[in-house]
Amino acid sequence: MSANEVFHHRRLACGAEFAAIALPGRHTTSFQIRLLCGLVDEPDDQLGLARIVEETVGKGTEKRTARQLSDAFDAIGAQAGSGVGRESIVFRCSCLPEFTAEALALHAEMLRTPTFPQEYCDVALELGLQELAAIEDDPSELASRLISPHAFGRLLGRHELGTRESLERINREAIVEFWRSNFSANRMQFTIGGAFDVEKVASDVDRLFAGFGDHVSSGRGCVPVEFNPGVRHHHKETEQQQILMCYPGVAVTHRDYAVERVMLGVLGGGMSSRLFTEVREKQGLVYWVGAWDDHPKGSGLIFLGASTTPARCDQTIRTLLREVERLGEDLTEAELQRAKVGIIAKMQTHGDITRARLGELSADVFHHGRPIGADEKTAQIQAVTTADIRRYLEEHPRDRLCVQTLGPRVMEALA
Amino acid sequence: MTKKPGANGFVEHTLANGLKIVIEPMPHASSAAGGFLVRTGARDEDSHLAGVSHFLEHMCFKGTAHRDWKQITNEFDDMGSTYNAYTSKERTVYFGWVRTDDFERQVELLADMMQSVVPPEEFEMEKKVILEEIAMSEDSIERKVYDLMHEAVYPGHPLSWPVLGTTASVSGLTRDQLHGYFLDRYHPANMVLMVAGAVEPNSVIEMADRLCGQWPVRAPRPARHRPKAELSGVRKVVAERFQRQAIGLLYPGPSALHEDRDNGDVLASILGGQNSRFFWNIIQAGVAAHVAAGRLDYCDDGMMIAFGFSEPDRCQQLLDAMRRELDKVMKEGVTEDEVQRVKNRSRTGLATEAEAPYYRLMQMIQDIDDFGRPRSVDERLAAIDAVTPESIRGYLQRWPLAGDCMLISLGPRDWPT
Repeated sequence: MSANEVFHHRRLACGAEFAAIALPGRHTTSFQIRLLCGLVDEPDDQLGLARIVEETVGKGTEKRTARQLSDAFDAIGAQAGSGVGRESIVFRCSCLPEFTAEALALHAEMLRTPTFPQEYCDVALELGLQELAAIEDDPSELASRLISPHAFGRLLGRHELGTRESLERINREAIVEFWRSNFSANRMQFTIGGAFDVEKVASDVDRLFAGFGDHVSSGRGCVPVEFNPGVRHHHKETEQQQILMCYPGVAVTHRDYAVERVMLGVLGGGMSSRLFTEVREKQGLVYWVGAWDDHPKGSGLIFLGASTTPARCDQTIRTLLREVERLGEDLTEAELQRAKVGIIAKMQTHGDITRARLGELSADVFHHGRPIGADEKTAQIQAVTTADIRRYLEEHPRDRLCVQTLGPRVMEALA
Repeated sequence: MTKKPGANGFVEHTLANGLKIVIEPMPHASSAAGGFLVRTGARDEDSHLAGVSHFLEHMCFKGTAHRDWKQITNEFDDMGSTYNAYTSKERTVYFGWVRTDDFERQVELLADMMQSVVPPEEFEMEKKVILEEIAMSEDSIERKVYDLMHEAVYPGHPLSWPVLGTTASVSGLTRDQLHGYFLDRYHPANMVLMVAGAVEPNSVIEMADRLCGQWPVRAPRPARHRPKAELSGVRKVVAERFQRQAIGLLYPGPSALHEDRDNGDVLASILGGQNSRFFWNIIQAGVAAHVAAGRLDYCDDGMMIAFGFSEPDRCQQLLDAMRRELDKVMKEGVTEDEVQRVKNRSRTGLATEAEAPYYRLMQMIQDIDDFGRPRSVDERLAAIDAVTPESIRGYLQRWPLAGDCMLISLGPRDWPT
C-alpha cells in the first residue's frame, strides 16, 4: 500500500458523505454504500427486521423485477453483496473500472425504488425462520448469539435473525416502513477505491441520490454498550465445549486504540501469540483459540474464545484468564515488536487487494468520520510501548467478565 | 542463465535434484506470496496411517535442525506474515504472504520447515491438538456430510478416509510412522516451490538452489489407484444432534484433469451458484435456505453434486425441487444468457485475483497440482469464455444428471424410509 495515499472526502449536496481513494493501475473498482441504520433501529417487537429489509430491498424496483435486477448486475459482472450490522447496513460492490457508473446507477435504483413484492417478503421471513433453526447446528455462532445481549446490551446485543416470535410479527408494511424511515442520502456514507475518475464518480453519486429520503433526519450518535457481567451456560450435547468471555475495551477513536490492537496482537495475533502458545502448543488443550475486539461506534469489547472437549474446559478457562493477567507482568520488547510488525505488515500486504483497502476506508469513515492514511495508522502502532500496554491493562481492569459457555458440562473454573 | 517469463507470464525452472519452481512475477504488487506444494494427501495413506498427512502438516511447524517450534512461529510473526498450511485428499500445502522485503526470509523459513525433524518431544502434545480438531469437526454438519459423501462413493478406497483421520487412527499413530512417511514423501520428486508477487525471478531461482539444491533425491510417491465410484443407491446417517437434514444428490463428473471441467463449473454455477436456478426456484420458493451445486474433483475421478440443508420435515420437498431442476436442465439445457452471466462474473473475479499475490498463489497451487502447469488469469478466462450452451449440452450427454445417482441424507430424521 502506498505511503502517499490521496483521499477525497466531503459531504455531497445530496446529503451523502463521500470518501474516495484513487488507486491508479488497479484492475477493479470497489465501493460500499453504508446506510446508517441497523439492528439498533428495529422496533422492540420486530427484531430481525433490518435483515429482512436488506434481503428484500434487491427483490425488485419500479423498473425491474427481482430477476431482472440480478441479471442487470450480472450483465456488467458486478459482484454485489450486502450485510446488516448493529448500526449500519452495508451494500458492497466490486466491478471492472469501466462498469463503475452502471454499478452505481443500479445501486441507486435498488435503494431508491424498491417495490418489496409481497411474495419475496413472505419468503424472506420464512427463510429467516429456517436460518434461526440452522444456528443450532453452528455451536460457535450460537454461543456468540447467546453472549451478545449480555455483552453489548439490549440494543447493540441484538442478533440479525431476531427471534421466531419477532419474525412472525413482521409483515410487508413493517418492511416498507423501516426502509422509508431509515434509507436516505443523509444517512449514507459512500466510499470507493480503485481506478476511476473521482470527480465523475462524486458527480454521479450526487445526481443519483439527490432527494433520496429527504424527510429522514441525519444519522444518530453512538448507542451506548450496556455491559452485563456474569457467567452463563447453555446446555447442548456437543463434542466440544464453546467458551466465550469478554470485558470492556476502548473505542476505535480512543487514544489507546492502537495500544489495544498491539495488546491483542501479543495475546492472539498469530501462532506465536500467547494464547496460541500457552493454550495450544504447550498444553494441547484446543485446536482453536483466539482473542479479538468488537467495536460498536464509540465503544469496544475484548473477547477471548476457545473450544475444547468438556474434560479440558476448566483448565482452558484458567489458562485464558491467566494469560491476560500475565501480560501486565512479563511482556517482552520482542513480543511487542512482533505484534506491531504483524499489524503493519498485514495492512500493507492486504492493501494490494482493492476491496480490502476499500473496506478499511469504509470502516474509518464510519468510526472516525474521516479517511485515515496508512502512514497515520502505522505511526500510531509504531508509537506503542510496553509501558503503554501495562498502563492500558491497569486502567482497564478485568474484574467484571461476561462469560458464555455452551456444551454438555457446566464449568467449575467459573463457579 | 537468466530466465525470463514465458508467453504465459510464468518463469519455470527445475533444480538439478528435480525440485520444480514456478514463479509469476507481479510487478504492480507490494507483496509476495510463496509456498511449497507436497503432492501427498489423505488418498496417499495406507489405512493404518489414516490422518498421517494432516498430522505431518502440523508437525512441520514443530521443529527443524535449525529451529524449534517457538522459533518457527516467532519468525513468521516477526515478518507479519499471513501464513498457514492445509491438507486435502491429494495435497499438502505450506504458504506465507509477506511484504516484498521479507520474501527471501519467508522462503528460507518455509524451506527449512520442509526439512522437519518431526521432533519426538512434540509428538504427543500435537496429537492432543489434532484430536481436538477431530472433535470440532464432529460438531459440524457440513464436515460430517462431506466425509459421508466420500465414504459412500469410494468405499474401501483411500479417498473415503477423512483428511483428519479418525480418533482411533490418529490415537494409534506413532512418531516413527510420521517420520517414515515424511522421508517417503517430502523430497523434490514430490514437491513444487511456487511464488507469486513482486519478485525478481532469477534471484528466486538462485535462492531456491541455495536453500533446496541439496535436498536428497528419492523415488516419487507410489502411483495412485483409480477409485471405482459407487454412484447409486441411498446412504443415510441419523444424527440427532443436528437440527437440519443434509441432502445430496451425487452424479458422475469429470476429474480435475478432464477437459470438461470448465463446462462442469459453469453448469454448476448456473444450477446452484449466485443468481442461479436453485436460488430462484428453491431458495426463493422458501423450500430451504441453503442449496447449491458444485463439483468435487480428483486427479482421476469426479462428481457433480446438488446439495442442501433443509428442515427435517421438508426433505422430500427439497429433494423433489432439486430433481425438478436437474430434469429441466437435462431436457432443455442452458441459455446463452445464463452462460454469459457466469462469464461476466468470472471476469471480475479473475481481475480481483490478479491484484493479489496471495490469491494467485492459491490458484497456482491448484492448477499445478491438477494440470502439472500454472494457468494465467488470461488462460483461465479463455477457458471459461470457450464454454457455450452447446458445450454444456455435450457435457450433459457425457455426464448426465439423470438416472443412477447416490442420495445422501444426514440429520435427525431417518429419511428416506
